[in-house]
Amino acid sequence: MGSAVEQAVQLIASGDRELLNILSVTARMSLSSSLIALLLGVPLGLLLGACRFPGRGLLLVLNRTLMGVPPVVCGLIFYILFSGVGPLRHLHLLFTVEIMILAQVVLITPLLTSHMETYAAQIAGPVRETAKGLGLSRWKTFLLLLNESRYPIFSGYLLGFSRAIAEVGAVSMVGGAIAWKTNVMTTAIMQYTNRGNFSLGIALGLILLVLSLGMNLALSLLQRKVAS
Amino acid sequence: MNLYAFAKSFGGQAAVTVPDLTLEAGTLYAVIGANGSGKSTFSRVIAGVLSPDGRRPVTEAGLRVGYLPQKSYGYRLSVLQNLLLASRDRDQAARLLEAVQLSHLAGKPAHRLSGGETARMALARLFMGQYDLVILDEPTASMDMESTMLTEQLTRQYVAETGCALLLVTHSLQQARRLADKALYFHKGQLLEQGPAKTVLYEPQHPETRQFLSFYGS
Repeated sequence: MGSAVEQAVQLIASGDRELLNILSVTARMSLSSSLIALLLGVPLGLLLGACRFPGRGLLLVLNRTLMGVPPVVCGLIFYILFSGVGPLRHLHLLFTVEIMILAQVVLITPLLTSHMETYAAQIAGPVRETAKGLGLSRWKTFLLLLNESRYPIFSGYLLGFSRAIAEVGAVSMVGGAIAWKTNVMTTAIMQYTNRGNFSLGIALGLILLVLSLGMNLALSLLQRKVAS
Repeated sequence: MNLYAFAKSFGGQAAVTVPDLTLEAGTLYAVIGANGSGKSTFSRVIAGVLSPDGRRPVTEAGLRVGYLPQKSYGYRLSVLQNLLLASRDRDQAARLLEAVQLSHLAGKPAHRLSGGETARMALARLFMGQYDLVILDEPTASMDMESTMLTEQLTRQYVAETGCALLLVTHSLQQARRLADKALYFHKGQLLEQGPAKTVLYEPQHPETRQFLSFYGS
């Protein structure tokens, strides 16, 4: 175990090409999926939290249901849709980073939507009432609401990114964990551990832990800033 | 200006019923009544924050209504930026900040102000705009005596300078007597009495208003 950790540190320090490729695919997938989920989840969350409209209750139930979908089930659905017998097979997306991003967007967007909906529900009343009293337009009111939500938006992004980078079920099903193509940190840890290559697994695990620590520190700082 | 008759219910329970009203420009109206009498609901419907039953308009089309909610809110912008939301006139903003004694806090984030400071900032922010009708819902509730006097002076000045009609919702009979030209008295969701302040606030006609004054006005 000790020598595996030593080898892992050496791999990180030497900039091992395979390790760098895994990190690059992971970064591309996690950054893209969390950013797309943010662009979808923030306006949807603000809309659900700040506005009352027909069908809102249904959308809330749907969002909560999607939050509970197990990643492997999400992966299975995407696999069926894009596989050789699926209705979307002509897009040739199975076992690509693009479909991994798509699956993660479906998993992360409901989390961000719920995160923003909870916050918007708390502040929308005073924000809107004050703006109405000043005769501000709906667009300006929305921009103010967005500005009031800037810390929750950032913390939501960090949450989404943390979820994306640590996700394994869906990405392994739709990405196939193909070396040098769709292998990300989590799938690679599983793969190399199964093969007995502990050093690369541990190296990736260490990087994941450091990233997770960094995310949590950033979140704590943000929460402190919001509270003050 | 005319306000059209409306009713507002919550969960089938009538909260307030108001007949047609005519408000005069350049006049300050005190809206008085006990807690739960419908004063705030009345003001929130006219401000457009609440929809009346039947969703019919309650003000004339094109009427500019300014409204200060009971609980003042400072956006996560600087105090000066908050004031510039209603109008880009920086000179006016500087004058108003001085009037509410907040010039030294112009660059401070508004959400970090104290309750009294937020209330003064919110009043200055509202007075940056030009309105035909202004509604202030208990603007001095969280203020000390000095700030209250400052606010009353600024309110009087705003009405005189802009010629707007102003509805001041207040639980303070003394404040209503100090400021109002006319008064509206609400009781259990009904507008029971309206008229010159000298009559409604000193020699009311309705027995319920007399009882209210004898209880709160001594």
